[in-house]
Amino acid sequence: MITKLDQMFTALQGKTKKKIVAVWANDSHTIEAVSNAVDKNIVEGILVGDKNEIEKTCKAEKIDINKFTVIHANTDVEAANMAVKMVAEKKGDILMKGLLSTDKYMRAILNKEAGLLPPKAVLSHITVIENANYHKLMIVGDVAVIPNPDINQKIAITNYLIFTAKSLGIERPKVAIIGASEQVSPNIESSVHATIISKMGDRGQIAGAIIEGPLALDLAIDKESATIKKIDSEVAGDADCLLFPNIEAGNVFYKTNTKLCGTELGAVVCGAKVPCVLSSRGDTSLTKLYSIALAALMAK
Amino acid sequence: MEPITKLSQIVDHLLDKQIKKRVAVACAQDQNTIGALAQAVENGFAEAIMIGDQTQIERIATLEGIDPTIFTIIHLPNMVDATLKAVEMVRNNEADVLMKGLVGTDKFLKAVLDKQKGLLPEKAVMSYVAAIELPKYHKLLFVTDTAVIPYPDLKQKSAMLKYSIDMAHKFGIETPKVALIGSAEKVSPSQQYTVDYAMMCKMVERGQLPKCIIDGPLDVFLACDPKSVEIKGVPTPVNGDADVLLFPSLESCNSFYKGLMLFGEGELAGLIQGTIKPVVVMSRSESSTSKFYCVALACLMA
Repeated sequence: MITKLDQMFTALQGKTKKKIVAVWANDSHTIEAVSNAVDKNIVEGILVGDKNEIEKTCKAEKIDINKFTVIHANTDVEAANMAVKMVAEKKGDILMKGLLSTDKYMRAILNKEAGLLPPKAVLSHITVIENANYHKLMIVGDVAVIPNPDINQKIAITNYLIFTAKSLGIERPKVAIIGASEQVSPNIESSVHATIISKMGDRGQIAGAIIEGPLALDLAIDKESATIKKIDSEVAGDADCLLFPNIEAGNVFYKTNTKLCGTELGAVVCGAKVPCVLSSRGDTSLTKLYSIALAALMAK
Repeated sequence: MEPITKLSQIVDHLLDKQIKKRVAVACAQDQNTIGALAQAVENGFAEAIMIGDQTQIERIATLEGIDPTIFTIIHLPNMVDATLKAVEMVRNNEADVLMKGLVGTDKFLKAVLDKQKGLLPEKAVMSYVAAIELPKYHKLLFVTDTAVIPYPDLKQKSAMLKYSIDMAHKFGIETPKVALIGSAEKVSPSQQYTVDYAMMCKMVERGQLPKCIIDGPLDVFLACDPKSVEIKGVPTPVNGDADVLLFPSLESCNSFYKGLMLFGEGELAGLIQGTIKPVVVMSRSESSTSKFYCVALACLMA
């Protein structure tokens, strides 16, 4: 079981290396991230982009271009379509966003004809946070993609959380469905959703995990609070996964962690046929590396 | 207290504890009602206040070989007057149980539900709980709601849960096992009753509802048959040993109990709950034994 993000690198050694396809990978941020991952021996790197630009960047950054497979594309959209096609044809195992806008990147993934998104699949975002004040990793969703998930989307996100936890070697993940209180309030939709998902866990309709909710955040990650409030659940104070009721709550939690607690994280977009890395230029190079490692662990 | 597992044991328990309750009967000039009350009085756990047409009450009793002087008779030949008087007596604590006689159910319930002079506290949920004895089940089964609420919402289901637990307690069952009945054990967000059930289970866990062992949705097999639990492999704390079955609708519950009466050799006692005192409403087609047990049950719950 992986309890620190850098343990992902060790876990990946000796396994068949996954191919990461970076879209419109002309810029130094993207190339550096893929280069670091290749150097760490965790993936094979395929850069799709303007060949001249890629060569120029590699030269400027003193990165050996020969460690990558470089495929030329004339525009960002063309690069996106080519990369998505490669992944759909199983010539790549992970997709990664480069210099193009998130909008164009997501549109290529969502393109129905390209077939990267199974019918009715829910596209969501999973973040793995390492906070020194918690005894293990926290796997959280959705902090970035679905604003107000309905019950079916929440069920999908819960399954992604569980899958991510399992990819990290957690055999029977403990999932907390987060709310403002542990009390059931029929008038609060997230509270109702939490009880439904919790019961679906009991019934094995959502399999492979112990699910408890609603739980306030303190009850999910702090044993003492759980004891004081007499919550009799294996999940209380020991959650691996946190499902947030909406994007605001999840986003504030993750940014509080990164900006006020100096935590590191890795993140991946789930729901497509392959894990998709969606790092932004604002991310640290370590975050990008962790995201690639996480995607590599989750790739089939 | 040793749990009561047969309806006849209600009477034993009442006599054992020397419990005696005053039953006010609205429009008592009815053969079956007079018979059931006479039996209750003779057993010694009830005092009967028969309100209605005195001449007819005395005549019917005599025809049945019952001495009318075992009853307190209040002469009010008008049905509405008699019903109002019976309700008023219960309200004023001059009686412990209200029972319907010859009067129509709608007139009777109208008096019970009257906001000023009735028996239902403001905002209280009125519901019906029945205790069923079956040759093929090892204990009594409390089922709700066979008679009053067509489609209970979460608040009403929660009240039904509370009432059935109250009844199970009176029967000496300390921590009743409650099965919330559906057609399957799966939760479906598009089926509201399964969502209600999920909430109720969690609310019991969180101490928001009375303490009990609860699970649902469960089908009747998983609720009452340990073998089905084993075969289906559904881990459930009720484990095929339910005391209480709470149904999602009146139709389902009503059909369940009537099926048991007709084909399962069941015997039943039931009453209205939510009122300040127990209210007995019996349908004319119920057996005289069932009617007698209803009176006994009401005296137990009073």
